[in-house]
Amino acid sequence: MTVGFRRSAAIIARRDLKVELRSGEALSVVFPFAVVATWVAPLATDASRNLLRDLAAPVYWLVLLLFGMMIVFRQTALETSAQRRVLALTGLDPAARFVGRSAASALILTLMAGVLIIPILVLYDYRPPSAVWPMVLVITMAAAGLAMLGTLAGDVTVGLRARTSLAPLLMAPLATPLLMGASQTLEALIAEHSIITWVLVLVIANLGLAAAGVISARALEDIAL
Amino acid sequence: MKKRVLVVATTLSVAAGLVTAITSPPDRLQGDFVRILYIHVPSAWLAFLAFGVTAAGSIGWLFTRRIGWDRIAEASAETGVLFTAITLATGMIWGKPVWGAYWDWGDARLATTALMFFVYLGYLALRRTTSDPYQQARRSAVLGAVAVVQVPLVYFSVKLWRTLHQGLTIRPDGIQMDGAMVMAMLVNLGAFTLLYLTLITFRTDLARLEEAANQNDRSAHNRVTVPRLGEAEA
Repeated sequence: MTVGFRRSAAIIARRDLKVELRSGEALSVVFPFAVVATWVAPLATDASRNLLRDLAAPVYWLVLLLFGMMIVFRQTALETSAQRRVLALTGLDPAARFVGRSAASALILTLMAGVLIIPILVLYDYRPPSAVWPMVLVITMAAAGLAMLGTLAGDVTVGLRARTSLAPLLMAPLATPLLMGASQTLEALIAEHSIITWVLVLVIANLGLAAAGVISARALEDIAL
Repeated sequence: MKKRVLVVATTLSVAAGLVTAITSPPDRLQGDFVRILYIHVPSAWLAFLAFGVTAAGSIGWLFTRRIGWDRIAEASAETGVLFTAITLATGMIWGKPVWGAYWDWGDARLATTALMFFVYLGYLALRRTTSDPYQQARRSAVLGAVAVVQVPLVYFSVKLWRTLHQGLTIRPDGIQMDGAMVMAMLVNLGAFTLLYLTLITFRTDLARLEEAANQNDRSAHNRVTVPRLGEAEA
């Protein structure tokens, strides 16, 4: 019996989320560590309310990027060569594997993005845009893009000794269009300016990453086997 | 023969570019510093072209699995990194007297170009993690195809952000430059394009030779076995 693409992707996503729930690597280690990181900037600067308000958005996106990388490259999300071979033998579409893994990471990242808003609102006196749903959508899109980029970077560096240092080096600069698109859309929402250009940047970056991940999935599967 | 013609044409065009850059009139506001731009702008354009070719080579490899595509992608990425480094260096040298600072965070194009530079440094670092040409090709083809997203971001950064960098000079409504300056720019652009072609021609040849040398190494390694201690006496 063959399993369809969507069902295969859902199975992989569910597996990754179950492993994460059991290990708690992201939820009980990375999340609290990310929240602690947001405390560092106010400690490093004086307690000027205006300065902190200016720092709020950059700190938020920086912490999301750095700790987001810890999530997408988490130890429990690593597949050994043997696991990959078993998946290949089941006839699983490598593109479905990419989609499933990205979806699981995107969900965890969106959750972290939501958690991080709390210290940013409380500690930095941040004034979010009044339009809440567009903000949620933008953050979700940024998280999805980061998850896809992380999955791609992880797959490209799989099996390399330098993986832990090389994968973030590849991911961080390539995340620019995503972070620019998301942060500038929120700025435009706050200033009540047009958001079309920046939403377009975000959408194009996400579509490009999705296409790259799906197209290259088979070639990347070969590396791991 | 073709390579010799290419080298001669490149040398002559680079010399012509140098002459036109020196003899072109100084700018009304920037003075002689404008001459830096005859290196800066063609380098930037060639960096875009080089990374575009890297993406094309990477996509070509993903679809055909022919190693020739990967050699082109690698050669073009290395050349692109070189041109990006020249772009950044000349931009900083020009920025000090004209803007008053080597680096200005208010300039979106400067920041995005630096990020593009790091992306392709990462690409080259990834290639150096393994000596197997097929592993190199597999890993870097995906990155080469994805990394090109930085090129339009750098190009349109002056339109997307309010930035210190000047806007587009060549626009649908005309060229915002003096005729002699346009000529110097075009001659230098031609010279840099030939230089790029020469560099990737020799770099792809070098890659082919490296692969042949590595294969010879491997076959020699398979043929020669270390004699065991005591065998010689026996």
